[in-house]
Amino acid sequence: MSNIILARNLSLTYDNEEKIISDATFSVRKGEFVFITGPSGSGKSTLLKSFYGNLKPVEGKLIMGGLDMLTITKPKLQELRTHLGIVFQDYRLINEWTVERNVVLPLWIAGYSKEVQATQAKRLLHHVKLSGKEHKYPLELSGGEQQRVGVARALAKNPFLILADEPTGNLDEYSSNVIWDLLENACQQLDTTVVVVTHRIPTIFNIPYKHLQIDSKGKVHEVH
Amino acid sequence: MRFIKQHISIIFPLVAILLGLEFFIVFDRATKNYEESLRDGYAMLVVAKDEMSIDDFKAWDSHVYRVAEIEKESIVSRVDTTLNKDKVTTIHERMPNFYSIKLDSYLDDEGLEGVKQNFLKSDKVARVETFDTVHRSNYGLFSFIKFSFQTFIIFMSMLGFFLIIKQMEVWNYLHADRMKVMNIFGASLFLRSKVLINLAFIDAIISAMLASAIFYIIQNSWVRGSNIAILKDNIDKLFSAYDIFSLIMASIAIAMVAVFLVVINVKEE
Repeated sequence: MSNIILARNLSLTYDNEEKIISDATFSVRKGEFVFITGPSGSGKSTLLKSFYGNLKPVEGKLIMGGLDMLTITKPKLQELRTHLGIVFQDYRLINEWTVERNVVLPLWIAGYSKEVQATQAKRLLHHVKLSGKEHKYPLELSGGEQQRVGVARALAKNPFLILADEPTGNLDEYSSNVIWDLLENACQQLDTTVVVVTHRIPTIFNIPYKHLQIDSKGKVHEVH
Repeated sequence: MRFIKQHISIIFPLVAILLGLEFFIVFDRATKNYEESLRDGYAMLVVAKDEMSIDDFKAWDSHVYRVAEIEKESIVSRVDTTLNKDKVTTIHERMPNFYSIKLDSYLDDEGLEGVKQNFLKSDKVARVETFDTVHRSNYGLFSFIKFSFQTFIIFMSMLGFFLIIKQMEVWNYLHADRMKVMNIFGASLFLRSKVLINLAFIDAIISAMLASAIFYIIQNSWVRGSNIAILKDNIDKLFSAYDIFSLIMASIAIAMVAVFLVVINVKEE
């Protein structure tokens, strides 16, 4: 299995101040499900941001899908991002767009036809159990439903990697379980690599996973 | 209501700027014509001991545009028609040469005095008459109108620009979140700003049309019915089809620069 993410002595910092992630070495292979945990402020979300190029490494190496994130050009980064699915704790949906338009955002960016977008939207919304809500606006949905739209959007273009930042952080237990099921399915059925930043690994989780833990000093440890 | 407000808030400042721009163009055109007619109607009188050519005058001052010698016969005949031929010949021989000098532009008092002094530096020039009293009153009125209008135009354009800057802040507030999300999913700069570009483009066209309509009405109703000579004499030059094209281009350019500044200022979190 090839490496989707490869970090070697990776250090991350904002504005060249104190290192948030320090000397991290780990890898994520294709099709793996990875949990990144750690105390608040340990740098979990910062590490995830570096995976989609929001933050550049200050030291070491970070290779994402074969691309060096330190030297990556803007067009290449844009191209890389079109192959990623990203899920946020605060959903980050476009509130003035309908659910359907939100879901097909990655397809619209990639230039797919309206027919393909419509077909894919129908399939995805059925998959996340939101059929019939195509024409609603995000603010008309519950938090759990909005996050399901977020997951559907992340799955829209069959990404090779899904990055999720506290995807169940704002949700009740039922909605959280729905989200975990969707991410499990993506990993198991589509062989998509999934990296999830979370405070707590769910108690009922049905597939094998890798666990990376960040300590308070920003060191990354592979638990299993 | 929100839709109308969203459009009005960019159309209004754009129309203000376009009106300012078009007023400037029109006023510049009209005053240039008026200035030319003033210039053509004005001439200095130079009395010279010897015969002079245009090159001599041009060598003394670069503002000299045209030189016409005033025939001595016409001067003498105006003074006295009863003189005999010998006396006329003697007068001719003793008379200095008179030249009417036209300048290349309409100069202020200081400029006229400069030209006069340049001529007087030469021993060949006996006297220079600038007729500066008439000139001063024409020029003063003309300068005052020009200054008042330009101040008004500058004020109007500044107001428009401030309103556009305000609107850019509103755009940033309304569109930044969407652009950030699109950026995370790999959208190009063009795709990220497409919604804003469409909005700004439509509003730019509407604004240009409104400004053109206002000028068309000014030209065809107000100016035709008015008694302002400077405008009436140049009515066909006030507003033309080419101006509509200029206004559309200017409007689109301003709107697109505003959009571009908004888009590039949206930073990733």
